[in-house]
Amino acid sequence: MNDAFSKCHPLVNFLFFVGAIVCGAILQHPAYVAVGTVCGAVYYVLLRRSKAVKPMALMLLLALVMTAVNPVFNTRGEHVLFHLLGRPYTQEALVYGAALSGVLLTMLLWLGCYNAVLTGDKFTALFGSILPAISLLLVMVLRMVPNLMRKTRQIVGARRCVGKGTMEDAPTGEKLRGGVTVLSAMTSWALEGSIVTADSMRSRGYGATRRSSFMIYRMTGTDALVLTVMVLLLAVVITAVCLGQAAVAFLPHLTAAPVSWGVCAYGAYLLLPAVLHGKEALQWRISRSGI
Amino acid sequence: MKKSTAVTLLVFFLLIPAALYLGLQLPGRSYYLTATLIILEILVPFFLAFEGRRPQARELVVVAVLCAIAIASRVALPLPHFKPTIAVIMLAGIAFGTETGFMVGAITALVSNFFVGQGAFTPWQMMAYGAAGLAAGFFAQKGWLPRKPWALALFGFFAVMLWVGPLLDVCSLFLTPIQINRQTVTAIFTSGLVVNVVQASGAAATMLLLGRPLLEKLERIQIKYGMLSGGAH
Repeated sequence: MNDAFSKCHPLVNFLFFVGAIVCGAILQHPAYVAVGTVCGAVYYVLLRRSKAVKPMALMLLLALVMTAVNPVFNTRGEHVLFHLLGRPYTQEALVYGAALSGVLLTMLLWLGCYNAVLTGDKFTALFGSILPAISLLLVMVLRMVPNLMRKTRQIVGARRCVGKGTMEDAPTGEKLRGGVTVLSAMTSWALEGSIVTADSMRSRGYGATRRSSFMIYRMTGTDALVLTVMVLLLAVVITAVCLGQAAVAFLPHLTAAPVSWGVCAYGAYLLLPAVLHGKEALQWRISRSGI
Repeated sequence: MKKSTAVTLLVFFLLIPAALYLGLQLPGRSYYLTATLIILEILVPFFLAFEGRRPQARELVVVAVLCAIAIASRVALPLPHFKPTIAVIMLAGIAFGTETGFMVGAITALVSNFFVGQGAFTPWQMMAYGAAGLAAGFFAQKGWLPRKPWALALFGFFAVMLWVGPLLDVCSLFLTPIQINRQTVTAIFTSGLVVNVVQASGAAATMLLLGRPLLEKLERIQIKYGMLSGGAH
């Protein structure tokens, strides 16, 4: 994947997503929700390209359904649009439903971006020096799962060779018994293997002294700059929220604080990864046309 | 005072009230955020206690293997929600004690989401699975959990129905963008009931078929290599 933000230091990535997701979950002011959803969608599309279409269509459908459903359960509000099953269906409840759905949509989009950017290796690299034992645990589990799957296929193959394999059309009970035998054999093998691994680790000095950790990612000048800009923008957003710029009440009638500089700062913060992505794409285009 | 004890006290008397206060101050409905903050604050002391113990290589690798088995069984079985995962976690708790049970559960939830994608429910799942492992270990240690297939199966079934399932339902309730009132709560819990029953029967079936053999294997390793004493014998 060719994304400039993904190449930044994992700390920058992690802090950005914490900020984006927490703000997305808290802020319900329509302007903030709209900015959050649009920025999340832009970066999601930049990251996943054509693969973004299907999940985004599903998310949008979910949000629309949730918006339409909210007034059914919530009948407060002043402007009655129509009556459904004898209960009022109000405009305010519909807007409230839209805002809540927007919050959900924003969180889903940013989590989708998080999964693409902050992969397992970056996560363990980030926490390797703070939580050495748990990071080591995570790395070992991540390696063992494919290993176990491979071993399972070998066991199944070996059983088939001695006529113990279960066919596709075998009765469910037989399949289940076969599965249990395979899982049982796999467990024995994995547990015995784990002891060998552990003894090997000990004889190579694991636990003898404090663990040192190797960080493959370095904090570059760009990372520091991005981090500074991020923290400043976030500070502006927090100030704006504390000043009541994101205050909103939906029921019984809609009252929202006027749109101000807080939204701009929020938008700028959320667009950082997309801007980095665009800047690199542009640079590449210019340097290529220079050849 | 041990460092982990100090952290636990700090969490319960300072951080959780602080999170509740913050949740009240936040605009709008921040149930999800407040609850997630509290869950993270409960998870952290467990992880710190594990770090603080400086786990031996053998303990570390066995925990890793148990997690890997739980995850592989989740990925490998093609039936939706009908998975042996929670049963494997609870068996780990029974054989190796409460702390290992908790770690296996929490790490299994975290790492299996590296494979299928992290979601807003990850901390909740870590809490639910970890507590299931912890509870199994606790009941076994107290001797309240006979090692008979039917008893294990019943325990597995009710652990999912009464704890794991409802906790995840509360998470989806907080995430669903609708007004929370009696009707919506009923709607969410009813829609979650089917999944919970399937999940609970998966755990019960695994306990019934695999409970005893797997426990015997785990205990054999323990006795053979004299490790992780802390579980019930």
